Amino acid sequence: MDLFIQTLINGLLLGGIYISVGIGFALVFGVLEVIDFAVGEYVMVGAFAGSVLAAGLGIDALFVVPLVFVAFYAIGFFVQPFLHHVTTSNVPMPILMALVFTFGVAFFARGGILTTFGPNTREVPTSIATGGVTVSAIGTFPVARVLTGIFGIVAVAAFLYYLYNTKGGLAIRAIAEDRTDARLMGINIARYQSVAYGMYAGLTATAGVFIGIIFAADPGMGMQYTAFAFFMVVLAGMGYLPGIIVSGLVLGVAQAMFSTYVSGAWVFFVLFALVYVVLLVSPQGILGRGEPVS
Amino acid sequence: MSKREGSLPPRLESIVYTADGDGYDWRLAWGIVAVLLVAIPWLGAGTFELRILIGVLMWIGLAQSWNMIGGYAGYLDFGHGAYFGIGAFVTGIAMVSLSLPFLPALVLAGIFGAVFAYAIGVPTLRLKGAYFAIATWAFAEAMRQLALLLDITGGTSGLTLPSTMAAFGIPLPDLPRVIYLYYIMLVLSVGVVVLTYVLFEHHEFGYKVKAVRDNEDAAESLGIDATRIKRQVYVLSCTTAAVLGGAYAFYITFVHPQEVLDSMITAQMVIMALVGGLGTILGPIIGGALIFLLDRLSALYFGSDTMYISLMGLLIMLVVLFAPDGIVGLLTGETDASDIRSNLNSLLEKFKFQ
Amino acid sequence: MTETVLETTNLTKRFGALTANDDISLSVDRGEIRGIIGPNGSGKTTLFNNLTGFYTPDEGSIVFDGTDITEWEPHRIARAGMARTFQIVSPFRNMTVTQNLLAVEAPDSIEDKHARAREILEFLEIDHIADNEARGMSGGQQKLLELARVLMLDPDCILLDEPSAGVNPALEKRILDHIQELNDDGTTFIMVEHDMDVMRTIADTVTVLDQGQLIAEGSFDEVTGNDRVREAYLGREVDLEEVLG
Repeated sequence: MDLFIQTLINGLLLGGIYISVGIGFALVFGVLEVIDFAVGEYVMVGAFAGSVLAAGLGIDALFVVPLVFVAFYAIGFFVQPFLHHVTTSNVPMPILMALVFTFGVAFFARGGILTTFGPNTREVPTSIATGGVTVSAIGTFPVARVLTGIFGIVAVAAFLYYLYNTKGGLAIRAIAEDRTDARLMGINIARYQSVAYGMYAGLTATAGVFIGIIFAADPGMGMQYTAFAFFMVVLAGMGYLPGIIVSGLVLGVAQAMFSTYVSGAWVFFVLFALVYVVLLVSPQGILGRGEPVS
Repeated sequence: MSKREGSLPPRLESIVYTADGDGYDWRLAWGIVAVLLVAIPWLGAGTFELRILIGVLMWIGLAQSWNMIGGYAGYLDFGHGAYFGIGAFVTGIAMVSLSLPFLPALVLAGIFGAVFAYAIGVPTLRLKGAYFAIATWAFAEAMRQLALLLDITGGTSGLTLPSTMAAFGIPLPDLPRVIYLYYIMLVLSVGVVVLTYVLFEHHEFGYKVKAVRDNEDAAESLGIDATRIKRQVYVLSCTTAAVLGGAYAFYITFVHPQEVLDSMITAQMVIMALVGGLGTILGPIIGGALIFLLDRLSALYFGSDTMYISLMGLLIMLVVLFAPDGIVGLLTGETDASDIRSNLNSLLEKFKFQ
Repeated sequence: MTETVLETTNLTKRFGALTANDDISLSVDRGEIRGIIGPNGSGKTTLFNNLTGFYTPDEGSIVFDGTDITEWEPHRIARAGMARTFQIVSPFRNMTVTQNLLAVEAPDSIEDKHARAREILEFLEIDHIADNEARGMSGGQQKLLELARVLMLDPDCILLDEPSAGVNPALEKRILDHIQELNDDGTTFIMVEHDMDVMRTIADTVTVLDQGQLIAEGSFDEVTGNDRVREAYLGREVDLEEVLG
């Protein structure tokens, strides 16, 4: 029973950080209509950025989090116009071409990191997020995971606050609702799409720092988080933001339970197979609130 | 295609242009190429050159195979590499566990590819574009994970195939193995290209496929069974990928999930078809040869494969942004300098945040 | 001696709370030109989609040529001889005019598709652009191309969704002449059309839809004199003839 509760809590903590990856991804899908194949690579590059900055500046990785957010917000801000250009260009299947573009971004990022840092993993140095917190009668939880879980929840709360309680957030939601209407309402599409994509990139890369603190930065880790992001949006229902909170927690808990009680080796097979099966069986997500996919 | 004049350099033009005809005589050009391809092992090409050519041929075949579903039918199959891997493993397992010769093993690879493609295609082709891409991608990754876990695929240690021509299936004269491998790949790759050409460019089937891609509702209203057409294209393209995978297994004699089910394989097919020109017969030929050679060159000069990964990424981005019709689009004048300029201007527009 | 080619019974299609086709029963005789009119949103295009298999009706049945086709898929209905065009022209952009025609899944009765395609293009007087790519053509030429494609099916009945929309008057006349000519040879037409002059000249019978329901049927003059029709179009108080000029 203790092991079960411990696994459950570990899973929920992981779920917190997954939500912060999934929610930005889902927002970008809503706003730009683009499925970003590079999502996992933002996590990966974020983890490397955390590692390099912390080591370079000689400070704890936790303190470089704001730096990473700002840097990736800026990167995302200037990547968005490219996607916007492709989705509105006069090619057949513009949305699919944008998807191919993000496929290119993913390879560019992965190859760039591999070339610069080699194939080995790198530690994301922290002295604060070490050791464990003991909760009586349940067990000990690594501080890194606890902080990560807390960060995930706070980041998502801040993100949702921005989206639902500010003028900028209103503009972004208006664009997600209907781009043409939003333009007619006088909203600067280019700017707010860039803000949305920047926040997504920033949030995802920051999540990468925390994931790096727990597991280390690995040039090959991106694909896994791309799969996680797909899994979350597919499970939540495409384009349905609140569903991400549920599906992120489901993902975290399922991963923890599966590793503890079944076998770590089968985790990825099950994950990919589930993405595939959910798309086919429940095309509007388990909550039935997403847009149909067929 | 034959009537487009003035799009070739003058010197090339003088070779293929027939004064009395109504355009280029491509048949002559292709005839010369065909003779060269058959004769090349006897024109002094050594093992190194033949191995490069085997790679070029295989990738042309794979790019063309992806082009069927991705280009002509407009369905982004991001899991196409799975069929390459399935073909490689079926061939490997048939040769190792069942001790079959290569030829029947290759037929089995094709059959397995077709059966898998049908079973996967029926539910998956119902999904709309981007979701189809995700679903096929997830399927391919699941296959890779599965191959790493199963015993029959050799798990994480892979499979080692017989490495002599004795395992071919028909008694053969004693020639270097690489020459046979070259001819195997030549036959298969040229076969895929010719099949694509005949079916998609010169047959009603191809018109129906393009009709479904351009407007599915209109196609249905004209009696075209869109579901069936898509299924046929998917099965055909996946089967050819599986057969090429089988040939690759026999060529490389070692099959490992991380190699033959690597997601880079799908990525390369996509890139080659895209860079060459989607939905054209020449595109994947140009793209396949060019990208493969670029890969070898970058390995030679940079000494690492990783630089190549980012180069591919960059190339995808540039093609999508500025030359969505690929190299063929540039050659035929579909994309010209003014297109690129106006593209650049409209891209800069998107940076106006005020 | 008239024969019914198409008959719907209590046809109903709902989208959530909206009933787009509400209990529509209509019957079309072989060889007639039937006009379908009604204000925007009255269910005309939904009716077309129901008839041609793009929607499956929630209730009711459709019988074409004596066969119940209610549950059939669009391509099967097309092959059975009921063809349609779309409100928005939808040529296959990346193919030539001839290839557009050859793509059609023509019935087995047509032995030489190439010859048939040539014949149709000559009939519609667009054989001079047979090798042009569809994407470079004018809107009017694309309309003719659509009609040409439909004719490849050798249909008994053709459903046209606004054949004259966005077409210049000269071309409109050409299209209408062709329709008349085909009709003289026995092809049944069902047309959605906003241009009342076109309806007046060409339609044998006019069916009026409003809010998903069939509210009137008869000759053009009969239905335009009908109070419910005037009401549907213009609300009370206004004279239809006055507005339409």
